[in-house]
Amino acid sequence: MAPPFLEIRNLAKRFPTRQGREPSPWVIRDLSFAVGEGEFVTLIGPSGSGKTTLLNMIAQIDVANDGQILFSGDAIAVSDPKSLRPGLDRRVGYVTQDDNLLPWRTTIDNVLFPLEVQGRLDDKTRAHAETLVKAVGLSGYERYYPHELSGGMRKRTSLIRTLVYDPPVILMDEPFAAVDAQTRAQLQEDLLRLWEMGRKTIIFVTHDIAEAIALGDRTLVLTKQPTRIGAEHKIPFRRPRNVKDIFALEGFASVYETIRAEIQ
Amino acid sequence: MTAIDQVISGSAEPFISRKMAIFLGRLGFTAALLIAWQWAADAFGIIFFAPPMAVLQRLWEMTASGEMFLDIWATLKVSAIGFVIAMIAGAGLPFLLRLSARFTEAIEPYIFWSQGIPKYALAPWLILWFGIGELPKVIIVIAMSFYVIFYNTFAGVKAVDFRLVNMARVIGASEKVVAREVIWKSLQPFFYAGMKIAMPHAVGACIVGEFLVSTEGVGYYIEHARELSDTVGVFAGIVVATGLVLAINALVNWMERRALAWRPVEREMR
Repeated sequence: MAPPFLEIRNLAKRFPTRQGREPSPWVIRDLSFAVGEGEFVTLIGPSGSGKTTLLNMIAQIDVANDGQILFSGDAIAVSDPKSLRPGLDRRVGYVTQDDNLLPWRTTIDNVLFPLEVQGRLDDKTRAHAETLVKAVGLSGYERYYPHELSGGMRKRTSLIRTLVYDPPVILMDEPFAAVDAQTRAQLQEDLLRLWEMGRKTIIFVTHDIAEAIALGDRTLVLTKQPTRIGAEHKIPFRRPRNVKDIFALEGFASVYETIRAEIQ
Repeated sequence: MTAIDQVISGSAEPFISRKMAIFLGRLGFTAALLIAWQWAADAFGIIFFAPPMAVLQRLWEMTASGEMFLDIWATLKVSAIGFVIAMIAGAGLPFLLRLSARFTEAIEPYIFWSQGIPKYALAPWLILWFGIGELPKVIIVIAMSFYVIFYNTFAGVKAVDFRLVNMARVIGASEKVVAREVIWKSLQPFFYAGMKIAMPHAVGACIVGEFLVSTEGVGYYIEHARELSDTVGVFAGIVVATGLVLAINALVNWMERRALAWRPVEREMR
């Protein structure tokens, strides 16, 4: 049987302790899960459950203390800070909780930044970037600086900055947590629409149960610290989905209640 | 202006515009300064305090004869060479120190101690080594402007938002690109703050150098005038030096405005 596209095996993390203190507790321990190619997995857990830390480790900007990360069966180094490869040679994109736009670049220049950096900026990729800008409703704001945009617009910019270079795996860390409900619903619609176009593998972290169910093929529920996977739910709803109507679907309420009970 | 605005601001149409008020205020200050200057010249006598009209006339003569431009050129050349070297070293060193935290920790106290040396105390020794040419002056200019640029840029490197660095790395940016596109860009405000403080130091250091060893330059003009008890010449030299600093400052400000055009419009102080 072919190995899973992305597999996390017994991952463990504790932060270094300062001298004279007790050893720091395990933030994450024995955390394992696998993700198939093109799958949209949502991870949900209480705040402080090490969700961001987990994504940082998968994105290779933080070290793990134990365990393995396997990409199509190949193990990658996770515990030596010197051998980390952030973004794993552009195979892992990361939409962080903060938009992390470069404040001195305009919307379009922020979106083109990955292409510039990777030496792939040409007429074709530029046209692709412009299409994405239009697709998320940022037409007319191409020449605006981040501080001139609303929070929702910055989120969209940061989202398409990752989509523009087509990484096979995209990590998303509560990307819509900081915006109002109305904008969030719109952003979720945008994301699903863009995802239907290419069906990348997505690991989407959230603390919003409804969001986890609405977006994911599968929802993994994290435990309290030390964090591991506590439960797993296959989300039965058909795609393409309409985020705004999903609450009314049969079966939504029962999955919602089950997950809520598991988180507490 | 609506009625409510008028109530809030406490007046209807202002008598004069804000810009006009500031302009008149500045004009007033200039006039007061000139009157005080003239008064001081009358009170202390021309040997100690040159009257403004005499200084103005001297400036005119220096300009007409072209003598002023030779001195300005000599001072500008030495200041600019020294300043540019200090700028490259002061902005470049923090990028090298970034590469090794251990090396940085080892070398930091030495940078700090060397800053403690009174730079002008080095002048006799520099003359001993390099003679009375331009090199000793260039070195003093470097020593006087390097530290400010270095410390500011270094503070900027330390203040870089690490999340932006991680973002760039995940996207696939090499360390060279991270340094150029993220770190250098985000420390621009720090760099320009350092440049603006260091620049008058550089010109000042050059002028002091010219007091000591020189046959040309604004500093030489001032010192030579003093030897001749030509107080009007001393004052004219100071005015020229000030003008030079202000001109270079305007250039640095222009560069800063271009580099930081992306920033939100500066707000009024509150």
